[in-house]
Amino acid sequence: MAIRSEPVAAEALRRRGRRELAPGRLGLVMNLPTLLTMALVLAYPIGYAAWLSFHRVGPAQLRRGEFPWTGLDNYVRLFNDPLFILSLKNTFIFVAIVVVVEIVLAVAIGLLINQQRIWTSRITRVLILLPYAIPPIANGLIWSFLYSFQFGFLNRILFTLGVIDQPINWAGHPETALYAVTVPYIWRTLPFAVLLVHAALQGIGTELHEAAAVDGASTWQRFRHITLPLLLPIIVVILVLRTSFAFTVFEEIRAITQGGPGDATWVAAWYSYKKAFEPPNDIGLGAASAWVLALIVGALAIVYVKTIYRRVV
Amino acid sequence: MLAPTPFGRVLLHLANLLVIAFLLLPIAAVTLGSLQAEKTLQADTRALLPPEWTLDNFRVILSGGEQRGAIFEQVTYLPDNVKKIRYAFTNSTVIALSVTFATLAMGSLSAWTIARLGYRWTRWLVNASLLARFVPVITLMIPLYVAFRHLGLLNSVVGVIIALTGFLLPYAILILAPYFDQIPKELEDAARIDGCSRFGAFLRVSLPLAAPALASCGALVFIISWNELLIPLILVNKAEFMTVPVVINSLVGDVHVFFNLMMAICLLALLPSVILVLLLQKFVVAGLQVGGVKG
Repeated sequence: MAIRSEPVAAEALRRRGRRELAPGRLGLVMNLPTLLTMALVLAYPIGYAAWLSFHRVGPAQLRRGEFPWTGLDNYVRLFNDPLFILSLKNTFIFVAIVVVVEIVLAVAIGLLINQQRIWTSRITRVLILLPYAIPPIANGLIWSFLYSFQFGFLNRILFTLGVIDQPINWAGHPETALYAVTVPYIWRTLPFAVLLVHAALQGIGTELHEAAAVDGASTWQRFRHITLPLLLPIIVVILVLRTSFAFTVFEEIRAITQGGPGDATWVAAWYSYKKAFEPPNDIGLGAASAWVLALIVGALAIVYVKTIYRRVV
Repeated sequence: MLAPTPFGRVLLHLANLLVIAFLLLPIAAVTLGSLQAEKTLQADTRALLPPEWTLDNFRVILSGGEQRGAIFEQVTYLPDNVKKIRYAFTNSTVIALSVTFATLAMGSLSAWTIARLGYRWTRWLVNASLLARFVPVITLMIPLYVAFRHLGLLNSVVGVIIALTGFLLPYAILILAPYFDQIPKELEDAARIDGCSRFGAFLRVSLPLAAPALASCGALVFIISWNELLIPLILVNKAEFMTVPVVINSLVGDVHVFFNLMMAICLLALLPSVILVLLLQKFVVAGLQVGGVKG
């Protein structure tokens, strides 16, 4: 291609300069739709939630459109409510189980689908994505069918295999219900963790492994001293992300146990939802509890942004 | 990876079978449950496979309760939301497609400015997006309900589209900005020499080149908005405006609706996003891998 002569290019720039916005202004115009939508749906509600949590907001106040100031009353009631404390405790247990199990499974399955010479690994690699597509509420309902005491699919499998002779009430016992709801959540959120591990593994060359094998290192030693240290950064990422997302679990609880049996599976998001959107619609209290949840997750988010996420540009 | 020993290979195959069984367990349950009658499920509570198969669950759903088929002959009660489920599928489709389009349009505008202009406030937008990803939906829902009630946006498809778009824009920015950043700036410079404006260079040069990232982002946004429960649940309470997850949610705890019918609805609900994921596998994987982390 012929190289343009300078005057022509300069002329093009000059002509265009007249009708073109300055970069700063162009940037602002191009970001206007995003900024407006994010302000309406994200920024404003976050602030408004904080504001609501200091006011009395119930059905009567909503009708009148006036929210009387109550100071810290919602927070005082919140932390004096044994149900809220229990919900927080249950949430912590739920998160701890989910995060630990998910990291172990993600590393194991990540290594498994990385096996190029094993043909079944290719099938796993395709199917691992499947749970990501399932609507969480449908996932919950499917697992409540699996867990069903009378008609459940899980009991049927165990009967057919001859493992049990009495049906098991998987999600119906107060001592075990919380553990039962971790499984569907882990099932649904596993693909994300596995894919992150899988991507990290592809960055690890074979040279180190081959050199270590020549020196007589066993498979376990190679995993322990080569693969695991190199996977550590991505494990930390999964740890922070999954911890913050699992804190807000809602759909599986809603579909499988609705907080029950008794109050064995009340978690933080369920508490906020029940208080705000079911009679007597204590929206102020709901907002306060949702803000406590946001603060816990926000602290993790700040750790993530400050220390783990590498700047895009 | 080093070649495994024969014994190691057997172990790896077994491990794969175990993982595949776990992954397919709920899929098998929803499929088997939806293909049999309430009666066969109740008659034998231990059998894995039903003695008879039927498509009646799907027939009754897809006809909005008009064609009942053999297994629903005796049934007098069918929830209103199930009779009107066609609305839900239409709403879910309209909402997911609109949200995908709006998010891609606004997201690519912002992502390009972040990658190309490099002002302090555009960099700040990246951090804001990252933080926004962590905001619990339940925290947003309470004030959004009060605000949308005030704006008259409750029980409206548009309200749900606006809320979901705002909620998903941070994802789009995080996926698209690194991709725009990788496109060589020289291509835009060349277009500008040829008389293209800055915006023209974005529209005609960079945007088409970002097609793979747009596909990744679009697939994820479609799936998340198709699957989302809380936002439409709280903004909508009339059957005409419900989405599929909201209808599913309304069946939870309804003792008169049996598992078979629920499983059939669940199967119909998960089919579109499952098909999308399998078709766009490569793009979904890429989107998930950059959306969460960079580097």
